[in-house]
Amino acid sequence: MQKYSVFSLIKNAFKGHKDWEVAWKDPTPKTEYDVIIIGGGGHGLATAYYLAKEHNITNVAIVEKGWIGGGNVGRNTTILRSNYMHDQNGLFYELGMDLWRNMSQELNFNVMYSPRGIINLAHSDAQMNVYSRRGNSMRLNGIDAVLLGREEVKKIVPMLDFSENVRFPIFGGLMQPSGGTARHDAVAWGYARQADSMGVDIIQHCEVTGFDVINGKIKGIKTSRGNIKAKKIGLCVAGSTSILAEMLNMTLPIETHLLQACVSEPIKPILDHVVTFGAGHFYCSQSDKGEMVMGGDLDGYNSYAQRGNLPTLQHVLTEGIAMFPFLSKLKMLRTWGGIMDMSMDGSPIIDKTHIEGLYLNCGWCYGGFKATPASGWTFAHTIAQDKVHKLNAGYSLNRFHTGHLIDEKGLGTKTWIS
Amino acid sequence: MSQDFRLNNVGLINRDKKISFKFNGKSYFGYKGDTLASALIANGVHLIGRSFKYHRPRGFFGAGVDEPYAIVQLYRNNETDPNVRATEQELFEGLEAKSVNCWPNVNFDIGAINNFLNKFFPAGFYYKTFMWPKSFWYKVYEPFIRKAAGFGVASIKHDKERYEHKYEYCDLLITGSGPSGLASAYAAAKNGARVILAEDKPRFGGSLLTSEVNIGNQNGKEWAEKIITELKEMPNVIVKNRSQVFGYYDHNMLVMSERVNDHLPKSKKYSPKQRLWYIRAKEVVISSGSIERPLVFGNNDTPGVVLSSAAKEYLKVYGVLVGRNPLIFTNNDSGYETAIEFKKHGIWPIVLDTRSNPDSEIIDEAKRMGINIKFSYVIIAAKGYKKVKSAEIAKISQDKKDLGKIENVNCDCICVSGFWTPTIHLASQSGNKTKFNKEIDAFVPGQSKQEETTVGSANGVFTLEETLKTSFEIGHQLSKKITKNDNKVSVPTVVEKKSTVHDKFWCVPLPEGKKYKRFLDFQNDVAVTDVELALREGYRSIEHVKRYTTLGMATDQGKTSNLNGLQLVSNIENKIVPEVGHTTFRPPYTPVTIGAIVGREIGKHSKPTRKSSMHLWHEKNNAVFVDAGVWLRPRYYKQGNETLFEASKREATNVRKNVGVCDVTTLGKIDIKGPDVAEFLNRIYTNAWLKLPVGKARYGVMLREDGIVMDDGTTTRISENHYHMTTTTAQAANVLSHLEYYLQVVWPKLNVNVVSTTEQWAGAAIAGPKSRDVLQKLFPDINVSNEGLPFMGYVEGNLFGVYARIFRISFSGELAYEVNVESNNGNFMWEKIMEIGKEFEIQPYGTEALSTLRIEMGHVAGSELDGRTIPYDNSLEGLVSKKKDFIGKRSLSRLAFVAEDRQKVVGVVPLDKKTSIPEGSHLVKDAKAKLPNPKLGHVSASCWSVEYNNPFSLAILHDGKNMIGQKLYALSPLKNQSIPVEIVSSHYVDPKGERVRS
Amino acid sequence: MLHIKCPYCGMRSQNEFAYGGDASVTRPELNKEILDSEWDSFVYLRKSLKGKHLELWHHISGCRQWFKVQRDTSTHEIFKTLKPGESI
Repeated sequence: MQKYSVFSLIKNAFKGHKDWEVAWKDPTPKTEYDVIIIGGGGHGLATAYYLAKEHNITNVAIVEKGWIGGGNVGRNTTILRSNYMHDQNGLFYELGMDLWRNMSQELNFNVMYSPRGIINLAHSDAQMNVYSRRGNSMRLNGIDAVLLGREEVKKIVPMLDFSENVRFPIFGGLMQPSGGTARHDAVAWGYARQADSMGVDIIQHCEVTGFDVINGKIKGIKTSRGNIKAKKIGLCVAGSTSILAEMLNMTLPIETHLLQACVSEPIKPILDHVVTFGAGHFYCSQSDKGEMVMGGDLDGYNSYAQRGNLPTLQHVLTEGIAMFPFLSKLKMLRTWGGIMDMSMDGSPIIDKTHIEGLYLNCGWCYGGFKATPASGWTFAHTIAQDKVHKLNAGYSLNRFHTGHLIDEKGLGTKTWIS
Repeated sequence: MSQDFRLNNVGLINRDKKISFKFNGKSYFGYKGDTLASALIANGVHLIGRSFKYHRPRGFFGAGVDEPYAIVQLYRNNETDPNVRATEQELFEGLEAKSVNCWPNVNFDIGAINNFLNKFFPAGFYYKTFMWPKSFWYKVYEPFIRKAAGFGVASIKHDKERYEHKYEYCDLLITGSGPSGLASAYAAAKNGARVILAEDKPRFGGSLLTSEVNIGNQNGKEWAEKIITELKEMPNVIVKNRSQVFGYYDHNMLVMSERVNDHLPKSKKYSPKQRLWYIRAKEVVISSGSIERPLVFGNNDTPGVVLSSAAKEYLKVYGVLVGRNPLIFTNNDSGYETAIEFKKHGIWPIVLDTRSNPDSEIIDEAKRMGINIKFSYVIIAAKGYKKVKSAEIAKISQDKKDLGKIENVNCDCICVSGFWTPTIHLASQSGNKTKFNKEIDAFVPGQSKQEETTVGSANGVFTLEETLKTSFEIGHQLSKKITKNDNKVSVPTVVEKKSTVHDKFWCVPLPEGKKYKRFLDFQNDVAVTDVELALREGYRSIEHVKRYTTLGMATDQGKTSNLNGLQLVSNIENKIVPEVGHTTFRPPYTPVTIGAIVGREIGKHSKPTRKSSMHLWHEKNNAVFVDAGVWLRPRYYKQGNETLFEASKREATNVRKNVGVCDVTTLGKIDIKGPDVAEFLNRIYTNAWLKLPVGKARYGVMLREDGIVMDDGTTTRISENHYHMTTTTAQAANVLSHLEYYLQVVWPKLNVNVVSTTEQWAGAAIAGPKSRDVLQKLFPDINVSNEGLPFMGYVEGNLFGVYARIFRISFSGELAYEVNVESNNGNFMWEKIMEIGKEFEIQPYGTEALSTLRIEMGHVAGSELDGRTIPYDNSLEGLVSKKKDFIGKRSLSRLAFVAEDRQKVVGVVPLDKKTSIPEGSHLVKDAKAKLPNPKLGHVSASCWSVEYNNPFSLAILHDGKNMIGQKLYALSPLKNQSIPVEIVSSHYVDPKGERVRS
Repeated sequence: MLHIKCPYCGMRSQNEFAYGGDASVTRPELNKEILDSEWDSFVYLRKSLKGKHLELWHHISGCRQWFKVQRDTSTHEIFKTLKPGESI
């Protein structure tokens, strides 16, 4: 595989960039693999990469119905963080943060990991206390967290609304300095390129139409490009999990919902951090291109449409202006929607299933992007060892039976209320 | 003063009204009716800005919404707007604009060094480098790249402008007032339909303003004016200019932004800057026209290269010449129309036509006028840096592969026409499955998903006759479907020049040895080589190409670049265009001001504010308020220089010692009636409700079906079939929906009705050992003794002529009553309580004192009932009936919920009896254990116990039942605190609950 | 914005309504002995169909009635609305 560096860039510039190799090949599916990963999104690609790298399992195919990176890894607001209260979440996402820190170098692909700091604003003392519970939990789990007072927040993000004419004044905030952003497409492409170089077949435009299960054991899949056998199969299709589950006669604690995001026109740098509103659901960061990247609420009803409606964005942007009045003069340039697995306690599932050789990775709600490396790493472990790692042991399917729920927000099963 | 590039007596501008404006600090003038772009071109200014990546000089390419690069920083009325399209901004007196994305100025831009190094910056170069050393990306490279990126500058001043929303319903919404829009609007309006006709530009008429056609013995412009005038007078028609329908959403909801005041120096009084229209239309006619496609050749981004239709529009609408020595480069007949207009005004253009021998009426006319036409000719490259000075042209072979000898032609502008792309954005947003039309090499709408019909050139129809015929017909048919009328208007006769087929050729090959950049996306600097590179590297899906190269991702969202990008990909991949497919069209069609989307819900009005009827009294008595959801509640009543801590201590102490009064209006209140209420409550609450007598209240806990506590409160039996439920402030709305759900969906046979009465009642809690004395004086006729009105009793009374409900319930743990009166009597009640309570040393107390009182009593509240706890965790297991079934009961027997070491609420006291424990601290065994340090529980609520005069906290603790007496540490790393504590019972004060019963 | 026909009030815009989830989920009868799996499936498991989906909506800013809507989750097209007791 070609190494990417400033030197290779210069060398290739003088050859008119004619010698660059493909980042990943376009293979024809083989008849059988050791492992098939369904879903060429961030999690699927990462899983294949870690299967090859950490477990030396390279006879692997990634089967993607569209183009790789076309799902939520290419539709999110690129935020990375591990600012969770529950231990299961905190420790899991912190593994992710460790992997993010080295990802560009490990993948030899600049994923533009930018630990610019994420700040959750608090608008009352009660909210400061709720954030303290979370922040203290983070610190006791070895995760960085700082509690900021109003003046400290003002110093860091002066263009927040500190005026009198504000409905919910800012009391302070909880900051994770190492939280930040990364370039979403690059993550998918970087994992794809490395996985491909280690022998993983990336098969695009190949839709799964059925499963071959005999005596409780998975044997293979049926696809739009023919049947493919496999000893083990991992599902990594957040957003479409329920569709595949139906083919397997499984019903899961998941509903599919739509989340919209939008960007403004690019402006000169004004916001150096990721900031979230505490009196609603709005978050904002500025991309390296200058666009303000904004997101918030679900559209609020089951949907596979990848297209939302304006009132939701209006609601989100209302909170946006409440937080950053300067947004008013900017123009909304582009909106888009992604469909996501909303699990019944707001936390994901990475587990074995009742079908031998079939593994499940789903339920990421709207937080899947930051989990990409940790999800791939633990899912690869679960598939390779046929047992869960302690870092994903809590993300079991069985927790919905036993009551060991991981409900970060305490909202319960009404998944559409974010 | 004359303008070098302004023609006399041509155009629709008002030459009587001169307007002065500034661009980059220099003063110019234009006329009313100009855009910033037309005025600048009239003054010979073509250098407007710099491109995104290479900082190449940028001028004007279009004349409207399709403009890819002429964006400026606008100054208006002491405010500034970033990224304003100069081709859309109408000129107003005193307008000031500046170039963006250049430093120190647009003429000399340091960033242009990128252009000379462009070979090192191909598509996606940043993915391949800036990786070493590790921390340099975000410490060095990223800040540098960020500074270079972005266009305009956002002002951090609050926007003083006002934006409004309007909701409208109509039979037909018609998007665009060109020939197709006018015809369908006219036909539908005449047939009685309620029509909204929206036009993006200030002037109605679309292409009729610039085309040489004749409709019903009038020229196109006159016909358009006549139709518009008539439509404006019809009561069933709304005609809006400066209004862009930008989004087509579900169920025929479309959204339009109207620029009400953007064209004026400042917004008129009581008038919004912009207005957002939510329009629900029964039928939508998309008449959005088409956008001319660029031809791709070397340096085709040089200022002075413009779309041929834009050149024609500048000439015919604004009387402005984009150049005096034009070269017209076309692959179809449209270029000739522009050439003819130039020639008519004494300008001699040269036409380069990629076709070898086209034959049509338009070409014949151009020939007759003596215009220099070169067939089978192409432009290889534009020459000139900040403005076109000449062009390299050459003959091209029939197969378009071989170029002849390169010739140099002087010119000061190049007008390009690569044929037309229907504007299908709205159709595609609606869910329409677009299809590729090979004849026009573009996508057109296909099968509709919603009630929409596309007409005219947006549908790929490029003759006026056909356009008018079909548009009149569509307008009639659609209106007939709705109004059932059948009034048909006759279709006027049309005279237009026939054109012939276009050439599919659009991208000029590079001659041997030449390395000109041929741009597809002008703003983002995406060149042919970038797309080639992306494909070479395996980014083959059109979405990968887009994301890797950023093609079509600029502020114009690819209006002029997307189709050429598709054609290029299909050429290289040897696929037909529909196989490549287009990227998704998403709203908005053109960028929309965020302020307009939000409307009036800003500042203090971003969310509603709810106030109790005693709010003014609280304000007058120095209450410091706290947000409780959208309610404002007194947190404490400040006396002198008191701090929150001092005041709440004083207020709480007074409740324990004397008597206090607290505004509890915000509690949710639900009126419940019907013969089956007892049975219903018995299913809703965890405890037994079948035997609650009239005149008694009971405390209850309700669960979600997953066993988690949803809410708690009291319900009182007012009469046989009438109950009054209270909920927490936070859960009021949820509880009502919850009750309605079970009544209407799950148990419809229960004869019960519920209605919210939160707003109808004002409530005051009177608490403290002297509360009975106060109550007796308030209600002298009522026996308020412990026997007459026992704990959890209820009576109705007359409060100095006002009907009142009196509940003997307590949250503070003291002897207490809650008095409710109708809301409009709330203040009266409050003042009476204060007046009568005076002799008993009554004081009002706020939520902070209320918290103190409930915490030291061990009463759980929102910080314990946090959506994650079950009754046991809150020591409410005594209220869980073992006998009957209720909502969520089945979940309580799950493994985690019955674990021996299940978490439970406990009390926490610091060993030193001095150090307050911050809320949100965690309890651990070993304060110095290595991380991750196992947490046993968290401190949910803290107070200063006024009973014992030391800090006291509640905590939810693992195995809480067996932890009483244990010594632990409360850690708050955020506050750098480690406090040795002892675990005690959560019922710190009056554990037997004697006071409430006293 | 969806346009929803409340069976009691007629066509209204979505902002008057609150969503209420899968209407095919039925609560087990009170006091009935059921398997753990039946309970779990009532509380947590959802088919989350792509295509026609029968769901509950609540006219919170109107008549406050719950009702059923048959809607396509991939196109958002609404086919039918019903009172709670009615079935397709």
